[in-house]
Amino acid sequence: MSEIMKYDVVVVGAGIAGPIVARNVAKEGYSVLLIDKKPAIGAPKQCAEGINISVFEKHDIPYDKRFINREIYGARLYSPSGYTLEMRYNRVSGVILERKVFDKMLAFYAARAGADVLPRTEATDVIRKDGKIIGIKAKKEGEPIEIRADILVAADGVESTIARKAGINTYAPLHEFDSAYEYEMLIEGFDPDLIHLWFGNNVAPRGYVWVFPKDEDRANVGIGINSDNPMTAKHYLDKWLKENNIPFKKILEVNVGIVPVGGFLRELVKDNVLVVGDAARQVNPMHGGGMAEAMEAGTIASKWILEALKEENFELLKNYTTEWWEKDGKRLERVLRVRKVVEHLTDEDLDVFIQTLSGIDAEKIAGGHYSEVIKALLKQPKVLMSPRRITLLKELL
Amino acid sequence: MTEKIRIIVDKDKCYLCGGCAGVCPSLAIRVSSSKWEFFQDKCISCRICVTACPVGALEAEVVEGRA
Ligand SMILES: Cc1cc2nc3c(=O)[nH]c(=O)nc-3n(C[C@H](O)[C@H](O)[C@H](O)COP(=O)(O)OP(=O)(O)OC[C@H]3O[C@@H](n4cnc5c(N)ncnc54)[C@H](O)[C@@H]3O)c2cc1C
Ligand code: SF4
Ligand code: SF4
Repeated sequence: MSEIMKYDVVVVGAGIAGPIVARNVAKEGYSVLLIDKKPAIGAPKQCAEGINISVFEKHDIPYDKRFINREIYGARLYSPSGYTLEMRYNRVSGVILERKVFDKMLAFYAARAGADVLPRTEATDVIRKDGKIIGIKAKKEGEPIEIRADILVAADGVESTIARKAGINTYAPLHEFDSAYEYEMLIEGFDPDLIHLWFGNNVAPRGYVWVFPKDEDRANVGIGINSDNPMTAKHYLDKWLKENNIPFKKILEVNVGIVPVGGFLRELVKDNVLVVGDAARQVNPMHGGGMAEAMEAGTIASKWILEALKEENFELLKNYTTEWWEKDGKRLERVLRVRKVVEHLTDEDLDVFIQTLSGIDAEKIAGGHYSEVIKALLKQPKVLMSPRRITLLKELL
Repeated sequence: MTEKIRIIVDKDKCYLCGGCAGVCPSLAIRVSSSKWEFFQDKCISCRICVTACPVGALEAEVVEGRA
């Protein structure tokens, strides 16, 4: 007979979403167990580590220098023929984290708030009794254990195995994923106060190549491409580095992962099971960033978990689905529409658009005044002469 | 018409990133912190995992096909 543990809430996955849920629920005095299959939470990293500065205050996360590598002041975009678009602010707009430390600290905050935390503990299946999920089976340092809990939170990242075993269908077609590959390496010649993004159908099909600086001469240099591409992400990144004569012999880490870029779930809750973060495909489908989205989902989910526990009414959990769709889902659905338009742009389109945009007030673009940006593009002669480009842009309005 | 395949991993290339398990429609792959596992009985021979792997660590081997 395997060891049996008992909690109010068990959270599977200690990436971003999981620890936020565990912390918020434990803070209110409920018993929470947070598990992760990794022996060391946060390692290896599967991330470019860029995040907007606003998340710290919004989700009550300390701005701790131990996980902030570098403050960033904006971005520079490069078109296939080398036109650039720079958005630079006079204040810090984002940071490049050290995720190995960040994820671990998020789990630390959860533990400090009262949650139990167990690494090298892998959830293998759900346990059902009379058709109801009453917990999970797991392996803790190889030993089988059973974790009984009233509520199960699947925060297990892209794999999304636990949600699926619990009967929440998180399947999405392969086209709704990006395959990513990255070197953390020494690199010179790029303004270390900006993140740099290169676009082009031969550079990074559907995605982009990124340089996210962690130091003046060190950066996460990576790529994301559509996962249904017949070539690998690694192939495209190595090709880009070679073609641009960027030496890549001073490499500190190789990072690999797959990112959901669509396939949002209509239902994020089934009975007493909630799914959050990458597991629920809650990622920005345009740029593949999912940390802020995972925090947002975790915050909303924990709010309704607390209500359900206080009121002893698990029907209330369903409000997580409703509130998430109101607060973040609708926005991400719009971003997905943009992605679906942008993925059909030719290299020449990208040149024309980036060239035109570099003449527009960057604050407008960065501030999200997209309709003004699109209107400006629609006045461009090279756009006016192309019915296809007009149709593409009008779809975005 | 349909071929039945087996998925084989090149352990030296695989990073245990879990991506293939995430895109597999039928939970036929399990990635733990120390190993990659394939469950033949669940595999529907779609090859999605092979295409998706960011480093090309997976290969399909035909186990049963049309003659
Ligand atoms: C190469 C790359 C670059 C990226 N760059 C950025 C970026 O710059 N900015 C950004 O915002 N986002 C980025 N992302 C996306 C971002 O990493 C994810 O959206 C984010 O980590 C999602 O958080 P999460 O908590 O949902 O899942 P994760 O952080 O993936 O955490 C899931 C955790 O669950 C654990 N787990 C899985 N299955 C089990 C199981 N059965 N039992 C126990 N534990 C389990 C895993 O070990 C993992 O620790 C990038 C992704 C990749 C692949
Ligand atoms: S996607 Fe590739 S690297 Fe990642 S676990 Fe699967 S086989 Fe390994
Ligand atoms: S071939 Fe399809 S079903 Fe089989 S393991 Fe790969 S993705 Fe899963």
